[in-house]
Amino acid sequence: MTRAQRVLATAGVVAIGYALLFFSILPVPLLEPEAVDSILPVLPWWALVTFGAYCLGRLGWHVMTIRDCPEAYHELMSEISAAKNDLRAKGVTVD
Amino acid sequence: MSLVLDMNPPSSTSKYSVILPTYNERKNLPIIIWLIAKTFTEHQLDWEIIVVDDASPDGTQEIAKQLIGVYGEDRILLKPRAGKLGLGTAYIHGLNFCTGEFVIIMDADFSHHPKFIPEFIKLQQTYNLDIVTGTRYRKTPTPRLADSVTPAGGVYGWDVKRKLISRGANIFADTVLSPGVSDLTGSFRLYRLPVLRHIISLAQSKGYVFQMEMMVRAQALGYTVGEVPITFVDRIYGDSKLGADEIVGYAKGVFQLFAGV
Repeated sequence: MTRAQRVLATAGVVAIGYALLFFSILPVPLLEPEAVDSILPVLPWWALVTFGAYCLGRLGWHVMTIRDCPEAYHELMSEISAAKNDLRAKGVTVD
Repeated sequence: MSLVLDMNPPSSTSKYSVILPTYNERKNLPIIIWLIAKTFTEHQLDWEIIVVDDASPDGTQEIAKQLIGVYGEDRILLKPRAGKLGLGTAYIHGLNFCTGEFVIIMDADFSHHPKFIPEFIKLQQTYNLDIVTGTRYRKTPTPRLADSVTPAGGVYGWDVKRKLISRGANIFADTVLSPGVSDLTGSFRLYRLPVLRHIISLAQSKGYVFQMEMMVRAQALGYTVGEVPITFVDRIYGDSKLGADEIVGYAKGVFQLFAGV
């Protein structure tokens, strides 16, 4: 089963569950009907906005916290010089 | 001067084969081989490098032959090909000549530093992993290592725009594919030889999507994967262009993996 098939199957089950609740075929336990009526229709949009906010938050957080490593660059440059000298001494053509 | 990364270096009696696909790497090849050789020798590991050159017109193969003279025919193998045939097939070609139990793939343009190879080996041995991949996006290895050096990992040479694009692409692929690794397009990896053979035989894409596909397939097949933070020094020679075409190609590649694996 490919990932796409798994995701579609899960989405299908969730959609059917939501439709059953939305069209009042199944009752929602624990909440009053007025609360259910105001929450259920907007639930998908809420989920979408929350997901979008989560993704943006992740993006911003990681761009802020990804480490810059200038020390790696400097270390690499000096290693390249050392390598060139050593290799030239051993007879390798180094441009 | 080389930076010793940790106080408990790995000791291993396994042999490690490095496959280096090259095209016009006349300038970089001797230096990257010098760095790899130095790392392996310092850590007393058995090694070989397989240079797969796609008929470079700049004389890369002559330099490779000089290096064989310096390091020995048992350490450096030059296995050229007739033309520019692509990365995936370069690995397949190189795999035919590997005599090690483990294979390391990496870039020859200094964006990947061989000093991390002992870190990969150590993580692999600690948890008996099938694959270890380098990541630019994490600061600690996963699974956790008790004595890892902090801070670790990072990038050099990326402006904010590049970081945004890279991280955005990463989050997109992570959401669609849930691959279980933080750096999906990274190409600095250690594989157990039979694992690499198996995954490569199933892979169908090209370029960096190929690297993504390897990770996604590895996860789907149940191979164990660990990650080690690496420092990624980008493009010290030359510019890279990230255009709209590449972004579209990337999105297509991700969806192909979504629907195909």
